[in-house]
Amino acid sequence: MGNLDVNVGKLKKNAFRYSKVRGETASRIRIPGGVIDAGSMQKVVEIAEKYGEGVINITNRQGIEIPGIRLEDMEEVNAEVQAIIDALHINQTEPGKGYPSSGTRNVIACPGARLCPFGCYDTTAFAQKMEDAIFPNDRHVKIAFTGCSNDCAKVRLADFGVIGMTEPQYDKDRCVACEACINYCKRRSVGALSLVNGKVVRDKAKCIGCGVCVAYCPTRAWTRSENHYFRLVLLGRTGKKNPRLAEDFIKWADEESILKMVKNCYAYIEEYIDPNAVEHKEHIGYIVDRTGFEEFKKWIFKDVSLPPIAEVKERVYWGGNHYDRYDG
Amino acid sequence: MMDNPYIPFSSEILDIIRHTEKEYTFRMAFDGEVRPGQFFEVSIPKYGEAPISVSGIGPGYVDLTIRRVGRVTGEVFERREGAALLLRGPYGNGFELSQYAQGETVVVAGGTGVSPVRGVIEALSLMPNAKDKYVVAGFRSPDDMLFRDDLARWAERVNLTLTVDGAPEGYTGNVGLVTKYIEGLPIKDVKTAKAIVVGPPPMMKFTIIELQKKGFADENITVSHERKMCCGLGKCGHCRVNDKYICLDGPVFNYAEARDFVD
Amino acid sequence: MGYIVSREGFAEVIAALRDKYRIIAPIRKKGGGRFTDVDVILYGEVTDAAEIELDAKSDYAPKEFLTPLSETLFYFTEQEVKEADLEPKPVLLFGRSCDLHALERLDAIYLRNGKAKDIFYERRRKLVNFVLIGCDKSFKNCFCADMGTNRATEGYAFSVDRVGDEIHADVPDAEIAKIFAARGREEAVTPRYVTENEVHVTVPETIPAAVLKSPLWDEYDTRCINCGRCNFVCPTCSCYTMQDVFYTDNGKVGERRRVAASCMVDGYTNVAGGGQYRRKNGERMRFKVLHKIGDFKKRFGFQMCVGCGRCDDVCPEYISYTNIINKVSAAAQDAGKEAE
Repeated sequence: MGNLDVNVGKLKKNAFRYSKVRGETASRIRIPGGVIDAGSMQKVVEIAEKYGEGVINITNRQGIEIPGIRLEDMEEVNAEVQAIIDALHINQTEPGKGYPSSGTRNVIACPGARLCPFGCYDTTAFAQKMEDAIFPNDRHVKIAFTGCSNDCAKVRLADFGVIGMTEPQYDKDRCVACEACINYCKRRSVGALSLVNGKVVRDKAKCIGCGVCVAYCPTRAWTRSENHYFRLVLLGRTGKKNPRLAEDFIKWADEESILKMVKNCYAYIEEYIDPNAVEHKEHIGYIVDRTGFEEFKKWIFKDVSLPPIAEVKERVYWGGNHYDRYDG
Repeated sequence: MMDNPYIPFSSEILDIIRHTEKEYTFRMAFDGEVRPGQFFEVSIPKYGEAPISVSGIGPGYVDLTIRRVGRVTGEVFERREGAALLLRGPYGNGFELSQYAQGETVVVAGGTGVSPVRGVIEALSLMPNAKDKYVVAGFRSPDDMLFRDDLARWAERVNLTLTVDGAPEGYTGNVGLVTKYIEGLPIKDVKTAKAIVVGPPPMMKFTIIELQKKGFADENITVSHERKMCCGLGKCGHCRVNDKYICLDGPVFNYAEARDFVD
Repeated sequence: MGYIVSREGFAEVIAALRDKYRIIAPIRKKGGGRFTDVDVILYGEVTDAAEIELDAKSDYAPKEFLTPLSETLFYFTEQEVKEADLEPKPVLLFGRSCDLHALERLDAIYLRNGKAKDIFYERRRKLVNFVLIGCDKSFKNCFCADMGTNRATEGYAFSVDRVGDEIHADVPDAEIAKIFAARGREEAVTPRYVTENEVHVTVPETIPAAVLKSPLWDEYDTRCINCGRCNFVCPTCSCYTMQDVFYTDNGKVGERRRVAASCMVDGYTNVAGGGQYRRKNGERMRFKVLHKIGDFKKRFGFQMCVGCGRCDDVCPEYISYTNIINKVSAAAQDAGKEAE
């Protein structure tokens, strides 16, 4: 075996992990939306058995890492991974050379409306669409999709968190005042419904579009809106300095606007990222802390036209502990 | 639309007798045929309808004793003499008074259950053999007593036992549930004696057990049931028990039939 | 008289019929179900034959026209009580054999239970001309064959069977036959019907009192969530509750309406002052099931349940009513043996 001479920056960009075990790496598999076909999964198993230690890591962001791969085998692994990249329709710059970047993280999604009774939209499909729109990109951006306000995908830890909403449609002629919606909205959600004159009134300001009323209505008096809507929450993060939850930005946003805003965000990052950032990596939130939210908003709203129903927060304030300050 | 049974008629409030803060008897103008034990759907448009049993019958009127417990009855209590209420009815079968002419009769009634049998007791008290008629009436407390004047009058003619579930100190009347007073009733011939039981479901259940213990045959016991009723016409379904509709086939039932009712 | 018309021909028939009739039929409402991107099939007025769902079983029953989920009966002004108007145009009401049999059950309650007829039901009933949708196969959860409702030989204005690209129609109604005759060829047609279902029930002849107290009901205390879906989709459930309201913008006027009621839902038995019967869901289940397969028959001479299986289709808790019938049957047999 000759001496190892590896460009670590390139290795990381190629979706291999810098491992603490000298001479080893781990191959990272992107699974946008968290759904992988069984054939690709089989391929993962083969790679793990052939190049790794027969072990597979499930990552925090719904990806896979195959640890224990010798640095010398990276090229071969890239060739093997090609089948998975093709099956999952991951954008690539050079076939056979593995993943072209790793900065923009795997786009995650809860099971959503494909399986979950509460899912307000096909989270996987939207996640895949998002992946297609933004990948490959070296910028460190985290995007997460969740089907409803339960936020099982914990999107409030992402830069862009997308929470499914439906605008409940009420047909008073089908309502028998059984009050199931009122009771369940109170018990499972926010209590936005009340009975007035034998019919149900929805407090639009209070309603979070979770669809609990629709799910529990026994007569189809409540149904889902034809359009899917989303609550977009912004700039949540973990980390050492100032971990914080994402805050509400737009209620009743549409799919197209969200895709545009995320794409616009990359241009904003290019413009304002700290050129001296360690490993050229900076959470967007810290950039926004520097430029001010107004500037960020100006950039991401370029060519975006939100539906009339959308409610945009003029100002957004984040919390969290500031460990980098004495008063944090 | 012709003959719509859902259309109520207007009836004037001739008099209001206030028994307790929550229980008034409304004397309503009415000329038709009606029997004790039947009921009317009383309504105030925009507030709703409520089934109320007939508590008294006289020339040109019926008495409806109403307990203020809901939206409709709350609104009824705002009405004064001379105003009108809307009525539909009378509905249900009511009591067959001729059954009780001969021999001994025991009426056991609890709380508002006294209303539907008030007309029965009144009739019993006017019978020549009124001394063979027994009435056990129970109320929650002395303040909850209904028909005080009637009770005083009946006490003169029938064997009346008046009791309350509980009373403040110093109360000199009977205290205890109606069931306590069944055993001691001096019935001469339990084989032929008849009984009428009306009141809240647990009271009816335990009273009947006492009557059976005393030797009353199920066939000689009559009960009257209270259920939710939206129509009084056998359509809305709320009052059904087994294959019977309380509003059509009752509310008065022979216990030999009613003993099979399972709610 | 039977006719075979093309799909286009049938569309023309429906268009022509709309002069005289309102067409009330099962309609597939895209995304109208409980869950995202799940359809629901319920009843509504159609303007085009293509809107009529002829292939799938409807989730809700044709009673949606006869006993609307919510129907205003009277309007109150300061001076008068006015009955709500009803569009007087005759109706062609589409449904399957089970649904046609269900109308008999609704008639029994609304027109023959007690001396008074329900005028509001009767005025709708008089408008109805049934259109029989044939069944070339049994749907999931259907058990019409065991309930004897799998076939309808009369009581319909015409029948509709989709056979390939054609519509086969048996048309007893002479006036409607003329409309078909002008657009298709004459041929004897027998509406299709099923003779066998996957699901079977044994309904006991009589239900001994012991069955009412049987522990078989207890599991539903917790399994059932008393949502009432089984009642709302049932073609024979007919209970309703009255509602009086005054308009919030003008308290002097208001209306009296009735809304469908469910014996499974809280409040069904509540009497003024707080009294309530059948608190447990198992008791409510018993009350409902025994009505369908016993109590109704005692009163009217035929079973209430028509075996459409919609209750089993819709139950969010996967409670099988047909399974309960069979449990009742077994319990009835056991009780019979014990009595011997």
